[in-house]
Amino acid sequence: MGFKLPRSLAKGLALSLLVATASFGFTEGTDYVKLEKPIANADKTLIKVFSYDCPFCYKYDKAVTPVIVPKLPEGVTFRPFHLKTKGKYGETASQLFATLLVKDQDNGLKSAFDEKSQFKKAKMAYYNAYHDKKERWDAGAESFLETGLKASGLSKAEFDTAKEDPRVKALLAEWEQSYEVAKVQGVPAFVVNGKYLIKTASITSPDGMVELIKELLTK
Amino acid sequence: MNFFKSMWQEFKSCPMGAIAKWQDERFLWLVMAGASIFLILVAHTLFQHYVYMKPCEQCVYIRFAFLCMAIGGLVAAIDPKNSVLKIIGYVFGFWGIIQGIMYSTKLNAIHHAAHSDNPFGVQGCSAEPRFPFGLPMDTWAPDWFKPTGDCGFDSPIVPDGVELSGLQQFLVDFYADGWYLFPASHSVNMAQACLFAYIVCFILLGAMGASWILKMIQSKKA
Repeated sequence: MGFKLPRSLAKGLALSLLVATASFGFTEGTDYVKLEKPIANADKTLIKVFSYDCPFCYKYDKAVTPVIVPKLPEGVTFRPFHLKTKGKYGETASQLFATLLVKDQDNGLKSAFDEKSQFKKAKMAYYNAYHDKKERWDAGAESFLETGLKASGLSKAEFDTAKEDPRVKALLAEWEQSYEVAKVQGVPAFVVNGKYLIKTASITSPDGMVELIKELLTK
Repeated sequence: MNFFKSMWQEFKSCPMGAIAKWQDERFLWLVMAGASIFLILVAHTLFQHYVYMKPCEQCVYIRFAFLCMAIGGLVAAIDPKNSVLKIIGYVFGFWGIIQGIMYSTKLNAIHHAAHSDNPFGVQGCSAEPRFPFGLPMDTWAPDWFKPTGDCGFDSPIVPDGVELSGLQQFLVDFYADGWYLFPASHSVNMAQACLFAYIVCFILLGAMGASWILKMIQSKKA
């Protein structure tokens, strides 16, 4: 009897500790914030607001996003939103990225990380040119566009027609919401269900980020 | 020379009293304002314009913090014997220093995350800078306070077609990997150098303020 009580107590303590660590205990304000202006029609999504002109977006796109997206629960869609207000050629980049995402969709690609994705090819080419090669396209918007067209294998003529597609325009209109999100704490910005913005500084590992996203999806 | 000699004598015989007396005079306040203005000018004229190293969001905040210290120093220097002006000097000075310490600590963390394979634990650049009290410094003086660089990176980026002078080329190559006090070994980055400057300022201004308060208490007792 004298032995049993402390032992059961210890067991109970150990169990509650396990439960406590398993549930992580994410808190609003430190781990995420609720957006004042939620993104419309974004149920069951993880939205990433990014810019080609942002070193941490490149870092995340190299080592984090491709790791976490496959770990998202079934039925959750990952959607990249390009921020047009950042970078000298932000608007041109948005136009090309939106066009290429629609192309990817037409080609039956399901993931923005597919090796065949033209969007991914252009995005990585811009990251690489801007951040690794320190290219700033001083010659103008045409030279900027050329980098992405070359990488994605799209001709200028094809792009000029494809960008008039109403789906491209609809996507660009949707991306207008990026600025309000980016204003809160900068980019990359990850938004769950269009409502919960993850505080990037609280992320310590890809797995922790997945846990947080899962919890926010159930909210 | 004699001026410094007599100052040293004064300091040796009674450090606290000497500092308390000095902060009643103009020169220390002018030193604080001058050093702050000098650092802002070096950052803007030499690094930003001459060597094409663009300021990031935290860098313009650091400039703002030095500007606060400069304003405090100038206000106190109008008449350091006037307690109201001097208190304004201390408030602006300490506030600038504390803000500066926070900005440089944050920039240092960003710098390390940006240069490693572990990008976690920091926030990237914001889409728009936010200065204390909502001051629109970046619209008032965009050339000085609008962030145009990437956070954590301050390497020179020379626009196409620019002919560099010999000295410019030397500096561009010297800081090719970003600003370091010792570029060859990548040690002491810009954030750490600023942090060091703020800590020195904190100690000096702290000694001035403490001596002044202690002196006042003593004279009240006497």
